[in-house]
Amino acid sequence: MISRYTSVLVSFLLLSFSLQAHENIFDKSMEDILAMESELKAEIGSRDGARNCLDSNTPVDVITYKQIESSGLLSLTDVLRYFVAGFNAPETSVADGSDHVRAFTLRGMSPDQVLVLINGKRVHTSALLHVNGVIGRGSSHVDLDTIALGAIDRVEILRDGAAAQYGSDAISGVINIILKGMGHKSSISTHYGQRSKGDGQKVEAEAFISRALKNDGFVNLSMEAIGEEQTQRAGEDHRVSPPTITSHVGIPESKSYKAMLNAEILNMDDLSVYSNALVNYRDSKASAFYRPAASNLVTKQGFLPQIEANILDYALSVGVKGTLGEHSTWNLSNSYGVNEFNYHVEDSMNYTLGTTSPTSFDNGGLKFVQNTTTLDFKKSTDILKIAGGIEFRYENYKINAGDEASYTNNNNFSIPSGSQGFAGFSPENEVDESRTNYALYVDSIVDLSKNLQLEVLARYEEYSDFGESTNAKFALSYKLNPKTLLRMSGSTGFRAPSLAQSFYSQTSSFVNSSTGELTTEGTFKVNHALSQELGAKDLKSERSKNLSMGTVYQPSKNLSFMFDLFFIEVNDRILLTQDIQTTKEQTLTYGVTAARFFTNAAQTKTKGVDVRANYQHFLHDNSKLDFSFWFNYTDNKIIDSRDDTSTYVEKVRIEDGQPKASVRLLTNYQINKFNTALNVSHFGEYYQAIGNEKYKFNPMTAVDLDISYNITKKSKVAIGGNNIFNAVPNKWNNLNGDFYGTNGIKPYSRYSPLGYSGAYYYLRASMEF
Amino acid sequence: MKSIIVSFLFLLNTLMLHAYESEDKLKTVIVGKIAKYISWNEHTSDYFVITVLNNEFGSLFDEVYRDRSIKNRPVKIQYITNIEDMNSSDILFISQKNLHDIDEILLKTKDLNILTVSDLRGFAQKGGSVQLYFLGRNLKIIINIDAMKEKHFRVNNRLIRVSEILKGEDDDK
Repeated sequence: MISRYTSVLVSFLLLSFSLQAHENIFDKSMEDILAMESELKAEIGSRDGARNCLDSNTPVDVITYKQIESSGLLSLTDVLRYFVAGFNAPETSVADGSDHVRAFTLRGMSPDQVLVLINGKRVHTSALLHVNGVIGRGSSHVDLDTIALGAIDRVEILRDGAAAQYGSDAISGVINIILKGMGHKSSISTHYGQRSKGDGQKVEAEAFISRALKNDGFVNLSMEAIGEEQTQRAGEDHRVSPPTITSHVGIPESKSYKAMLNAEILNMDDLSVYSNALVNYRDSKASAFYRPAASNLVTKQGFLPQIEANILDYALSVGVKGTLGEHSTWNLSNSYGVNEFNYHVEDSMNYTLGTTSPTSFDNGGLKFVQNTTTLDFKKSTDILKIAGGIEFRYENYKINAGDEASYTNNNNFSIPSGSQGFAGFSPENEVDESRTNYALYVDSIVDLSKNLQLEVLARYEEYSDFGESTNAKFALSYKLNPKTLLRMSGSTGFRAPSLAQSFYSQTSSFVNSSTGELTTEGTFKVNHALSQELGAKDLKSERSKNLSMGTVYQPSKNLSFMFDLFFIEVNDRILLTQDIQTTKEQTLTYGVTAARFFTNAAQTKTKGVDVRANYQHFLHDNSKLDFSFWFNYTDNKIIDSRDDTSTYVEKVRIEDGQPKASVRLLTNYQINKFNTALNVSHFGEYYQAIGNEKYKFNPMTAVDLDISYNITKKSKVAIGGNNIFNAVPNKWNNLNGDFYGTNGIKPYSRYSPLGYSGAYYYLRASMEF
Repeated sequence: MKSIIVSFLFLLNTLMLHAYESEDKLKTVIVGKIAKYISWNEHTSDYFVITVLNNEFGSLFDEVYRDRSIKNRPVKIQYITNIEDMNSSDILFISQKNLHDIDEILLKTKDLNILTVSDLRGFAQKGGSVQLYFLGRNLKIIINIDAMKEKHFRVNNRLIRVSEILKGEDDDK
């Protein structure tokens, strides 16, 4: 009886299996077809237009707006960290400007080796230069948190060198943010959340307004307002009696207002005019280390300097595109962007001014301007596609001095000068420098056979300050069979030193973490007399070589695997030196006890692997299950260090400061009115050096959950959490300093990939109209 | 051993379900699905004829509609490169290659009993009957109700429910 039953069951399953294996899409209902998803396409990586990511000759990934919404996250930096294995963005504290603009890395490389585009156009970087001991030290990069999430249709990530396509910076990869276009509904939404410890409350309100224009043109406006309370994870300060929490360690308090516009006006005679714009005003506050009464050289009262950053970021991109006969297109655009970063210090003082010192200071600011004009052409034939163009870019970098009280030493060289916490920019630091560059590029794709495609690119670029650079790339893809694609690419690249790296200078008081003593240290321009005395040389561009090879295997339409190996070599990598002690004479002359500057310090090698699997399971009851697995392993090594300015701390930061291994397991289950997103992020171990000692921090795993319910077709509520099981990094092991240590003010490493603020829970609601 | 085989088959059974399709294939298939929910005034041919003007979907139309019927008539696919060459047809699919000639095409088909379908942006606003586009990874349909009425097509509510409805050339969506 049982045997007969089993036979019937097996027969049924075999029959059912064979019927389903031959199910034709035409037999599905209209509603089922409209519910189906098309292939994931991306424009990044080639000038051939959007193509299926699984057919791409270089590794490309896409995060869609639906995925962004169900993550419950409010910043693009967090979204990328959530979805992309190998993307790292630690949250820092007590690191001056770095607390307010989060550095991010791809494949453990420098933040300025990732190029960021919006709708295919280069985005300007932040004016901030990271000079403290953070991941990304010595770099300035795009401030991803200026971008309104509600404006994004998808984010495309190219995990390959692409300087031959896009120019400087595209060494570890390219992020292309595609804004929402036609067809999206207007909506409003709100979000409220807080940390499991009760602090870090976040409130967000968002509106997306879309207006259709003639011929499917559109105007979309996204607006967001976000207020965030600080989190407090500081340890007790043993410099005071009794030991008390005196400093702030955690996420800063901030308010951010963003607006983004994306528009396209179509003329059916083939011409279209497009534009996008963004503006972000952000006010962020974090503190320096507490100055105990004993170290207060004037009033003998303790105080906690608050460093406030006022950031204004705005950009406008306008273009026109059309066709030139059959299969030929052209595109002319201009993108202008500005980032202003202004410092204020509160609750502080300038010791050299004694009792007359103010307690609030305008410390001056930084400004970066970029304007890029591009003209592209494309032509396609049956077997050859060719694109080319020219680009002209202008950049300007400024430093504006603050109030005199913020920087003066009042002719007193025996005590630290300037406002405590962060000294203002002095007239000597002021700078107003510009440069231009132009580029010519060509990109060709040829179908060598039905299954073999070759893409060859070349780009010539000339900078007014750093001279010329010619780079090339080839990318080969071969369809071994309908289910298997083999791909390989090789390229050269470069990164011109940023204007900030060339011209930033500033001096400030620091607390020596070993002695507790206050010292005045500075970052100096390469051509400054002190830098030259200490051995600085003129900067050169970084040069890179990339090689990647991989395969895409699709055993069925709902299951795919990607495996890609990569090797990147960077020569003349620009690093900020460690603090070089000055002589007594130099201290008297320049007013600092230590100095640092930028130098082409090292050759680095990066190698690793990305493994991805995606599976989609559509059930007959209109429910859908999506799985995605991503493993990244990256190893960075300094192969050759030019001089002894790259010390052990920097070596550990580059080689071991970020997890080598990371995993993302993303699942999404949609049934009827419910959608559940459950994600697991795993970060491998990492290290931070203090002096000559290297300290290990254990791997971490975080779980994120978002459950949403469609109340009606147009309204939705959700409850969720990030890091719901409250994973926090381990504290320093066997380090017992006042500042960094198990029981120190900063008990956690600033390199922690997940930060250390713990679990975050939220509610969100949205409505379309 | 038997239980392992049964379990494996059961698992495989659940795995072999819907998956993603290419954009071109989804557009090709939906053309026939839409036709099911539209009523023509008259059909003069023994076949249900779909004419593709300047095809850019390769052999997809042939593959999808091979041995298929719409409204109980076997489907016949015709490929033309010039609107002048069009014979009697039920549906005219206008590819994006026809961007520069769209006004002329719509003028020439205005008084014909032909359902015009295209994936050109602005097609429905220009007077086309049905426009297809992708929002993210999902296919969307825009129906120009006035254009349908002019041609005396009747549109089933089931199709209207899943479509964006455009009324008049200057209507806001």
